[in-house]
Amino acid sequence: MAQPALTFPRPVFAKLSPHPFLLRCLNPSDETETPSRTNGRTPREARPLQIHTSSLSHAHGSAVVRTGDTTVICGIRAEVLPVAQIPQYRPRAAFEEETEASRKAEIKNYDLVVPNIELATGCAPQFLPGVPPTALAQTLSSRVYSLLVGSGMVQVEDLRIWKGGEKEEGGMDVDVDEEEEKELVGYWVLYVDLLFVSFDGNPFDAAWTAVVATLKDTKVPVARWDDDRETVVCSGEAKQLGVKGLPVACSAAVFLEKEYGEPGEGRHWILLDPDRLEETLCREVVTMVVDCSSGETRIRAMEKQGGTVISRELMRGFVGVAEQRWKEVSKAMQ
Amino acid sequence: MADRRRINGPAGATIPPIFDDGVDKKTASQKPTRSRPANAVRHTFLKTGVTPSASGSAYLEVEVPGKPGVSGLKLSCTVHGPRSLPRSSPFAPHIILTTHVKFAPFATKQRRGYLRDPTERDLGSHLETALRGAIIADRWPKSGVDIIVSIIEGDQDRETSKEQGDESWDMMNALSGCITVASAALADAGIDCVDTVAGGVAALVREEANNGVAKIVIDPVPSEHVKIEAACCVAYLPTRDEITNLWFKGDMPDDNMNTYMELVQQGIQASKFANRVLVQSISETVG
Repeated sequence: MAQPALTFPRPVFAKLSPHPFLLRCLNPSDETETPSRTNGRTPREARPLQIHTSSLSHAHGSAVVRTGDTTVICGIRAEVLPVAQIPQYRPRAAFEEETEASRKAEIKNYDLVVPNIELATGCAPQFLPGVPPTALAQTLSSRVYSLLVGSGMVQVEDLRIWKGGEKEEGGMDVDVDEEEEKELVGYWVLYVDLLFVSFDGNPFDAAWTAVVATLKDTKVPVARWDDDRETVVCSGEAKQLGVKGLPVACSAAVFLEKEYGEPGEGRHWILLDPDRLEETLCREVVTMVVDCSSGETRIRAMEKQGGTVISRELMRGFVGVAEQRWKEVSKAMQ
Repeated sequence: MADRRRINGPAGATIPPIFDDGVDKKTASQKPTRSRPANAVRHTFLKTGVTPSASGSAYLEVEVPGKPGVSGLKLSCTVHGPRSLPRSSPFAPHIILTTHVKFAPFATKQRRGYLRDPTERDLGSHLETALRGAIIADRWPKSGVDIIVSIIEGDQDRETSKEQGDESWDMMNALSGCITVASAALADAGIDCVDTVAGGVAALVREEANNGVAKIVIDPVPSEHVKIEAACCVAYLPTRDEITNLWFKGDMPDDNMNTYMELVQQGIQASKFANRVLVQSISETVG
């Protein structure tokens, strides 16, 4: 007599009992099957990355980044902030030395980069418009902000607007007073706006890749001070924004064998570039931002939350994974 | 008070860049002119299923008419639902339609904020009217559907100055795009409609500055014409020969009713062109 068979197709199982389904995929009972995730990837496999730049005409720089089913559009728009508009503006005295820290502080104190992430575009059923930004959107915005300011990718020299136009060494008009030439009249403020078109997990990596790709694409107009109009005017040409380094974010989630109970019991898997289903099943998430553009690997940021599985050794091993990801992303950027 | 849930940027006001040189000679030599005939629309690209996590989604892009710097319209639409209404809401015998239209901050010449402004609300309510006539609402009692359109890039010329390019005419094109893209997304979500609704725009334009002859064109690009006298946006169901929404704006001589009728007729014509693209795109996905 035939066994009463109760079979469902894979998507139904994934919906009904996601945790056992993912566990069975990663740990198949049949020895011949290779362990893989529900989406068919191996645990250390990230989704392929596609980057398109300069597709928007109203922004000074733009990029569309797509990893699997996560799509994010980033646009950078530069606006002029005259020094008269800055409350408590204090020009730098001649004797003050300009250091790396003072340059970073200048960007931070005058808010010269303004990143914002918009999730409420219906990119996933949980993000609908008409409500204030969700906790995730706020966290992502502030993470991008702190990384953007902290990594020193944007240099304040590119954002300064001088009275006599671009500051040049030599070749100045002799009649004009040297001191007046060097007067700072304003700053460029970079508004970095990110819009999620489609959301399928791992938003930070996608958003950060979009920010980096857009910064590399951004051209800021050449600006000078107009004495007659007493304002900053721009000529038609634009100058490429200098971007230092290429930090790449790499996230992974830790999947535990036991759905409930104390973390640390049973086996675990580290899933690189988690999708929406995996993110809902994993509590511990690790993100590392590395920059290998100078030849050696430098860690720009490291974040880990939600559990205690990832130990010191695993963290060290994760640097290698992040390096691998850096190579993939930098290849996609070109 | 500043929005504390977002990163607001500097406390002082920032000004968008002002360009000074070469503007005069550029507008003289490179002013865009309409190269296609008065009864032809721009090429449109429509694709459904761009957001897999939504019930239905579509992306629409209108071609740039032959010149870099003129941005085409880029729209993305997602549909969520039909789904049950929250318990607190009163009984509804038919589906509750919620529409949101939002410009991306980088969509237009002026940077837009994240809060919805009156124009966006206006577009949202027009879109709702247009779609309500097409959806068979009483098939889903006690349920709701959300339709969200993000305008990634508006239909505006970057070169035209602010005085010349009146924003209100751009809204017409934006609305017609919104209707078409939302209709495609509804079909992708599998929500029953009596027909595919599509949007079309016709305008009464003057080619010479002072007293030229006014003529009617469909799918107008405001920067290509000296002056737009009036425009209308039509949402039209072709097989039932019904108009679900009509938005008319402008200034028209009242002595001749025929001009008005002709304008609406041309709007319907534009809508039929859009509908052809729509039906082709949907039949590709349905197979």
